[in-house]
Amino acid sequence: MNTISDDDLVLYHYRDSLDARRLAEIEHALLASESLRERYASIERAMARVDALPAPEPDADFNRRLWRELEPRLRAPATIRRESWRERLHALHAWLSPPRLAFAAGACVLALAVGIGFYAGRRSAPTQALVAQTEADAAAARVLDAYVAAHLRATEGVLLTASNSDSTELLNGNRELAASLVEANRLYALAAARAGNTQLADFLRQLEPVLISLANPSESNPIKPSEGLRDYLHSTDLMFQVRATQARLDRAGAHRT
Amino acid sequence: MVNDEARWVARASEGDAAAFRHLVEAHSSALYRVCARITGDKALAEDAVQEAFFNAYRHLREFDGRAAFSTWLHRIAVNAALEQMRKRNRVEAALPEGEEGNELIADAFESPPGPERHATSAELRRDIETQLARMSAIERAAFVLRHHEGQSLEDIAVTLSLSISASKQAIFRAVRKLRAVLEPVD
Repeated sequence: MNTISDDDLVLYHYRDSLDARRLAEIEHALLASESLRERYASIERAMARVDALPAPEPDADFNRRLWRELEPRLRAPATIRRESWRERLHALHAWLSPPRLAFAAGACVLALAVGIGFYAGRRSAPTQALVAQTEADAAAARVLDAYVAAHLRATEGVLLTASNSDSTELLNGNRELAASLVEANRLYALAAARAGNTQLADFLRQLEPVLISLANPSESNPIKPSEGLRDYLHSTDLMFQVRATQARLDRAGAHRT
Repeated sequence: MVNDEARWVARASEGDAAAFRHLVEAHSSALYRVCARITGDKALAEDAVQEAFFNAYRHLREFDGRAAFSTWLHRIAVNAALEQMRKRNRVEAALPEGEEGNELIADAFESPPGPERHATSAELRRDIETQLARMSAIERAAFVLRHHEGQSLEDIAVTLSLSISASKQAIFRAVRKLRAVLEPVD
């Protein structure tokens, strides 16, 4: 028996994602079944009510206000070019300055960024300075993007394990991994903020409390937090944001290559 | 027209601010509409539009012309709107109970057709507010893109970095939530 769900009727309403055969099936079913027609009419009425709301329109002064805010930002040098490699290097250097922050991934980022910058600096004759700077800038950004993307992949794995696994052994290992990611997360947020990428920095800061809670689950019942996390992930789009940010960084890295 | 736009885009990508202003003025209203529908908040929508244009300007040279310029801009704007909501910790609690979040819908009903429809409109407005508030940002965005922007599921999936199946499910959930409150009015 081929049933037609309300979700099918929504797709039928939009004439989207249904092949010709399925469309014809639904059309015939609608002709044949009054109850189906009533269900479809109910969807149509709900959509019509949404359509009845007038579209939000900006006020008359919006364009002038928008341009007034936008124009000074467009004129800033960082708008057209990427942040200078000195800024990025400074950010990475500052990021690693406290001894507690000197862990392996950070050291790699610094070493690569400094190495590339130094190499570019030594090679650059005065006339080549701009080219070298751009190369070093892109390289530093690429390194940072790659490390943060890898960090987000690890975070995604931790979230999935914590929300899907009931194995105490796995959850214990996952807790340790989450604990190690907390520090890394903080460092990447700092690096991103200092490199001027406030969007990424904000996102990473938002992740921190989640990682901290995963690193410190209730002793009495390690399973219950998983259920809570499942609910949390289900009710928010945190997992989507982790994946989307990771994909964005991967794309940005590929683009800079 | 499209060729004209391509010329404006080319000039803007060379740093011509006047050309970029032309593009801003041509697309700002459409971007505002989509951002306002997603955020449900005038101020957030304006911030999102500004961020969208700023990001577009920074990445103009990466625009390869494979998609229409408006499509490219819309994708940036949708993500800017989601980002604005996230920044203000409003991803889930999309619309607050108070007056601020209700501005847009209230504005939409500023000129009701007549006293006899006023009560119904206000009631409907409240119902829709409630349901919009219960939607996640992704559900709202997916619904807005499908219903108001007429985007295909494939395009929505690309814009929101979701699978097509996840985009469908987000729309289904949004429609269910709307129907839950709109149907009993019938």
